[in-house]
Amino acid sequence: MSYLIEARNLSKSFGQKAVLQDLTFSLPSGEPIALIGPNGAGKTTLFSLLCGYLPASSGELTVLGHKPGSSALFGRVSALPQDAMLDPNFSLLTQLSFFGQLQGMSKAKALAESRRVLSLVDLAGSADLKATALSHGMRKRVAIAQALMGSPELVMLDEPTAGLDPVNALQVRQLIATLSGEASFIISSHNIFELERLCGTVLYLEHGKLVQQSAVQSAATQGYVTLTLEPGAYTDVLPQLRALPGVIAVSDSQKHEYVLQFDAELAPDFDLTLLMALRQFGWRYRQLTKGQTLEQQLFAVTAKQA
Amino acid sequence: MSAALSLFGRQTWLYSRFELQRLFLTPRGWFALAAFTTIWYFLLRYPIYQASVQLQEPEIQQMLSGMLGMVGMYNLLNWSLPELSVYWALTVFFMPLAVLFATADQTCSDRSRGTLRFLTLRSSRDSIFFGRFIGQILVQALLIGLSLLATLGLAVWRVGELPLSAINATLVIWLNLLIVLLPFTALMALCSALVRSSRLAISLAIVSIGVVTGSLGYLVWHFPDLRVVLEYLPGAQLPMLLGAQGWETLKHCGLPLLQTAVLLLIGRIVMQEKAL
Repeated sequence: MSYLIEARNLSKSFGQKAVLQDLTFSLPSGEPIALIGPNGAGKTTLFSLLCGYLPASSGELTVLGHKPGSSALFGRVSALPQDAMLDPNFSLLTQLSFFGQLQGMSKAKALAESRRVLSLVDLAGSADLKATALSHGMRKRVAIAQALMGSPELVMLDEPTAGLDPVNALQVRQLIATLSGEASFIISSHNIFELERLCGTVLYLEHGKLVQQSAVQSAATQGYVTLTLEPGAYTDVLPQLRALPGVIAVSDSQKHEYVLQFDAELAPDFDLTLLMALRQFGWRYRQLTKGQTLEQQLFAVTAKQA
Repeated sequence: MSAALSLFGRQTWLYSRFELQRLFLTPRGWFALAAFTTIWYFLLRYPIYQASVQLQEPEIQQMLSGMLGMVGMYNLLNWSLPELSVYWALTVFFMPLAVLFATADQTCSDRSRGTLRFLTLRSSRDSIFFGRFIGQILVQALLIGLSLLATLGLAVWRVGELPLSAINATLVIWLNLLIVLLPFTALMALCSALVRSSRLAISLAIVSIGVVTGSLGYLVWHFPDLRVVLEYLPGAQLPMLLGAQGWETLKHCGLPLLQTAVLLLIGRIVMQEKAL
């Protein structure tokens, strides 16, 4: 099987400081992949290795079967690098069309493609502006637009919605969801809820090590329900939930939020049982989610490992 | 292999052409052109024109020939027009310094801004490095050509005709100046690859030249047999170049071409290894 990305014993150090340690993983193409971890976990360094911005200290890394930075990947791999800016001397259109020409497009096609990607991020009207005339959010959207030039097979986005207002963040998420059928996405973010909505696979990094690689919707959905109640003076919620047929365990992870673990074979219609119980006790709910949230899934595992 | 070469060639040319676009189609380029025009107006109006007029005087010619002959530059006044003699003597020393400043930002600000990260996903670091270098050479070729045409214009205005030998001499000077400037442009390509701002690149180049020259001078003082090493420094051929005439001057082009190749090779290695 050919993988989108394969890493074997990959390590990166800056002087004495080991930033990535002995990572081994394979990522298939398909649903977007989340790269997640606390500050300093090594996410941006891994991104930089994948894009060929940095050489690895040891180990092997291939992207679409080629070494990162190889000419075979030009135009096939694109990225939104963190804190990268366009040249302030040229308009957005000039620079994006130059990128298109570097990718092998004719001048006319590169101009048309530039206009297309700028309109994808709602910046068609700013094509003649320079990067210095743009707000932080607009710069981020232009950087996303350049990553969509041509037909990349793999798009790597480092914090794509950081610094964007809610409307534009939603627009970017919708864009990724729409385009995820045409290209594979790898998204690094601190926004766990965003990644949960968008991604199928999660790579969880901590202290430069790969703590977990899992599918977001597989193990997490089996035998778990997350219930969020509306604020109110409800009494004995935990004991009543624990008494429901098929329940193995209930935890109140946050205020008014309960994670119920149940035996899916014994109680195949557990969600219906739960809804009936809510009605019976007069509890009004805000959200009922099948499975654990990604946050619960990841941090339960890391807490256990700790 | 040929596909890779063709891609490299195409992308390198795109980068080179983009440097011309930077000069002619951006406000920064227009300011540079305005500064260039102003400087050349004053150079033509005062030193070149005044000196050319003075050089018409046989006594002054005789005196200068004697003085220049003593330092091996006896051919300096033999160019077909006095304006070209003054132009050649001025530019051959002042242009390398100007080039250190004008070509300092080949890749450094793109690196510090992160723009190189966008570019390296679409083209090789070699294309960027050599494309920018060739772009700088194209800009220099164009600007030197324009300043030479202005000098010729000044001479025609003074003497009322344009001798064929002056066109030939202009071509010789244009080509020689480009060759003289090559190692300095390559030095700035290397310095620009090493640091993250043009100011730092200029400082690094000046300090490097100073340290290398000073260290070699010290060594030569103690070991006079090493004197030959001084002849390999950038610009070391300039006094000999001023002593030559016409196409004969090109016999001194080996050293700057070799220096350029070495500096570009080191710069390429730095560019390949540098984190973005």
